[in-house]
Amino acid sequence: MSAIFDAFSDIDDLAEDLNDPSPGARIMAVMELADSADPGAIPYIASAITDEDAGVRLRAATVLTDFDGPETSAALVIALTDVDEEVRKAAAISLTELKDPEAGTPLLSCIASTNEFVKVAVLGGLKELRRPDALAPAIEALQDASPVVRAAAVQVIGWLQDETALPAMMAAAQDADANVRRTAVATFGFTSGPHAEAALIKALGDENWQVREAGAETLAKAGSSAVQGDLMVALDDEYWQVRLKAVRSLGKLGLTAAAPKIGPMMTLDIPNLRKECAAVLGELADPGSVIFLQDYRDDADPDVRKNVRWALNKIAKNVA
Amino acid sequence: MPLAQTSTAVPVVVDDALCIADKGCTVCVDVCPLDVLRIAVQDDGTKTAYMKYDECWYCMPCETDCPTGAVTVNLPFLLR
Amino acid sequence: MDDILDGIDQIDCDILVIGGGTAGPMAALKAKRKNPEANVVLLEKAHVKRSGAISMGMDGLNNSVIPGYATPEQYTKEITIANDGIVDQAPIYRYAEECYGIIQELDQFGIRFQKDQNGEYDVKKVHHIGTYVLPMPNGDTVKKALYRQLRKARINISNRFMATRLLTGEGRVAGAICVNTRSAEFLVIRAKAVIMCLGAAGRLGLPTSGYLYGTYENPTNSGEGYSMAYHAGAGLANLECYQINPLIKDYNGPACAYVAGPLGGYTANAQGDRFIECDYWSGQMMQEFYDELQGGKGPVYLKLNHLAEETVSEIERVLHIVERPTRGHFHEGRGTDYRKQMIEMHISEIGFCSGHSASGVFVDRNAETTLKGLYAAGDMANVPHNYMLGAFTNGAIAGTESVDFIKDVDFASFDMGEVDRERERVLAPTKRDDGIPPNQIEYKTRRLVNDYLQPPKVTAKMLTAQARFEEVRHAMETEMVVKDSHELMRALEASSVMDCADMAASASLYRTESRWGLYHNRVEYAQNDEDWFCHTVMTKGSDGKPSSTKRDVEDYIVPLDEADKVAYANQRVTADTVAAE
Repeated sequence: MSAIFDAFSDIDDLAEDLNDPSPGARIMAVMELADSADPGAIPYIASAITDEDAGVRLRAATVLTDFDGPETSAALVIALTDVDEEVRKAAAISLTELKDPEAGTPLLSCIASTNEFVKVAVLGGLKELRRPDALAPAIEALQDASPVVRAAAVQVIGWLQDETALPAMMAAAQDADANVRRTAVATFGFTSGPHAEAALIKALGDENWQVREAGAETLAKAGSSAVQGDLMVALDDEYWQVRLKAVRSLGKLGLTAAAPKIGPMMTLDIPNLRKECAAVLGELADPGSVIFLQDYRDDADPDVRKNVRWALNKIAKNVA
Repeated sequence: MPLAQTSTAVPVVVDDALCIADKGCTVCVDVCPLDVLRIAVQDDGTKTAYMKYDECWYCMPCETDCPTGAVTVNLPFLLR
Repeated sequence: MDDILDGIDQIDCDILVIGGGTAGPMAALKAKRKNPEANVVLLEKAHVKRSGAISMGMDGLNNSVIPGYATPEQYTKEITIANDGIVDQAPIYRYAEECYGIIQELDQFGIRFQKDQNGEYDVKKVHHIGTYVLPMPNGDTVKKALYRQLRKARINISNRFMATRLLTGEGRVAGAICVNTRSAEFLVIRAKAVIMCLGAAGRLGLPTSGYLYGTYENPTNSGEGYSMAYHAGAGLANLECYQINPLIKDYNGPACAYVAGPLGGYTANAQGDRFIECDYWSGQMMQEFYDELQGGKGPVYLKLNHLAEETVSEIERVLHIVERPTRGHFHEGRGTDYRKQMIEMHISEIGFCSGHSASGVFVDRNAETTLKGLYAAGDMANVPHNYMLGAFTNGAIAGTESVDFIKDVDFASFDMGEVDRERERVLAPTKRDDGIPPNQIEYKTRRLVNDYLQPPKVTAKMLTAQARFEEVRHAMETEMVVKDSHELMRALEASSVMDCADMAASASLYRTESRWGLYHNRVEYAQNDEDWFCHTVMTKGSDGKPSSTKRDVEDYIVPLDEADKVAYANQRVTADTVAAE
């Protein structure tokens, strides 16, 4: 009779094949150790991180995703400087899967590395661990020459949601690199106040459309009525994606004075934008918007006409 | 009624040079949801994986999980 | 491997979970956690590492009820209306209340959901009523993470055993009869409770490509759950409410407009215009899709070519990595590029799946079926529109409830003759020297499903289907031949497909009205709330044929007022419709 259940083998027995002369056999041993899901397997898999065969090292770096804790992260840090690129990449991915804050200790100890790849991977691992002691080194990493490092550092800071980091975040929102600026702008979502608003308003005038889009979007979370004028300027952005986010934020912030400016946008030929405009005109419920909406009750686009009817009804209720 | 032997082109291709079935690896065979892969013994005694049954959902675990990158999943001709 | 061996073994367990895809692993884990002393067995006909609908992962949740974005009340209302009111709200409400806890738990397992730059869930709004979409940028790790948890909990996993029939006795479930897919050896499992998590019936219709396995659903989901519940005497609800999905033509994978939607992509007709009125994934939406395809404005397309390059790259990254990763290869082979042209879509073959509609094995709010001790969760249980998160959540519910059930019961006794008769039935195709192989039986069944059962449904065609099914069934029972144990698994699947085809025809004939848009569009009958505002429940009749009865819809716990009905239900906006708040 065939075996009925998947076996739970002894870890030490499984590890014996790590000494087999054939790399294939050692790869198999690493995989079986991983399938055990037993933390007792970590030291053995960690030892395979320095195997002479790249295939074995790749497997070890990959399966460490299944484990957590400082022993795991320490082994992965070693793999980050492997001679083989595949091994390095696998280790970086495995680092992002860590959950145990304790796993952050070996990462913090090498955060000052001058190696760009190592630094990005370490910051990537630290992000989800949300360790307060990662804040200072992350802020320091914002000075790094590499924009990829700076973007990774901004994310660590954003996840910590710490108001004391605001000056650093504001500086990052002015970074020379567009991706760093875009990421930094989105980190302001947890806060509010004049500093955040100033940074986001500045983002609305950025040369890169995705930064402007992130600014317009984040203002819905971090902005106040003071940003109305700036969002209304963004309604004329050359990218419809930016205009759409500006419209949505005006609606979320309930800035009714924007309605006369949003109304005429119903004539545009961009279905996604018109759909959003109609919805926001409904949310703002300004009686003056009826003249902009009424001609589109039977718009050819179903999503637009649904929102137009919903908005007209909302306004009628508001008037009553 | 007698049965025919009709040929079918199968979508999963295994690179024998990379396959480590010889070392006891059966990862692709294990992870295929439709269980269409098997290990073949070559004339010289070496073992490699191959697609035995033409019942592929082109879903990729065999390719993704192969520890040596020996497996490639193509789309079945009928829906290519 | 694959030889047909003669063997039989018997084991006992407290809780048997059948199906190691999505709901099953969660059921097993929750049962084991609630009672670590309980002997829980997880049975899977493939391998738990990569089995079921999400073998390669999933790109997002489309029904997450997260505080601050949606409430259980809102969600329950939406699902009620998306199913034309024919739902028992209690299981839906319970799902909506418990699913957020499950999201957090999955997050701890290492299954990752999209978060914003502050580490908060990045829930996306897809239409103006509810906000339920939560993308999963690394959703390809789902199965791996589940397997890790199962091993950590030291759950007994039994791969390569396929359950063929449930055992019953003393008016409740007693266990299951199983066969090994690589040796044809039998395993009889006695259990105090059984949780069925066998997925959709995805091999019912034949895909337009003609490839038997080119289905929308993972083809391993061939309807065993429906068939086994039926033969055990459990009730199945609303099977006439088929599953039909929009998809990428020929590739037959989901188009995932809900992934592209928040980023500005949409479904368009040949003119590039939006045409779908309906906000929900529902039969109504599928009817609109069908009408556009048939009405001269098709083909229908996924339109992304109006988006910025940066946005398209982002969408591609998600769509081509997760859930169906060969999709990138497909477009490459065809020379199609989201940036340059719209991508042709179509609608899928028919199937049963409560993940997307309202049909399935009837369950209450505790995931218990109409047979005592038998639970069901995931795509085969009739908690409507429950998708992947519903499979996890309802699986969890089934797992914990079953632990309570086994406290006070011992094994139910059953007739060993059942086992002998089942062995004879299963092994019959192995005893023949020649005949019809299972793939031909299955092909013919499914071709007939397409010819006669696909909506729009016509009475005369469905009666023809029944007559032809009977002929094919006769061939299956008297002439089917298999040469190895792998083919024997296919033969058993062909038998489930046949059972589901019979149930689909019978259920569709029973409900003499139209409902659920295209899913049950019976051209000779209009919607009729007076006679048919009810569930239909099918059981195996005393003549061995499907038999249906009506069952009242439970009183709503979240009542719908007229304004709700207009806002949520009147998705087809006509000239005089005024949408309410």
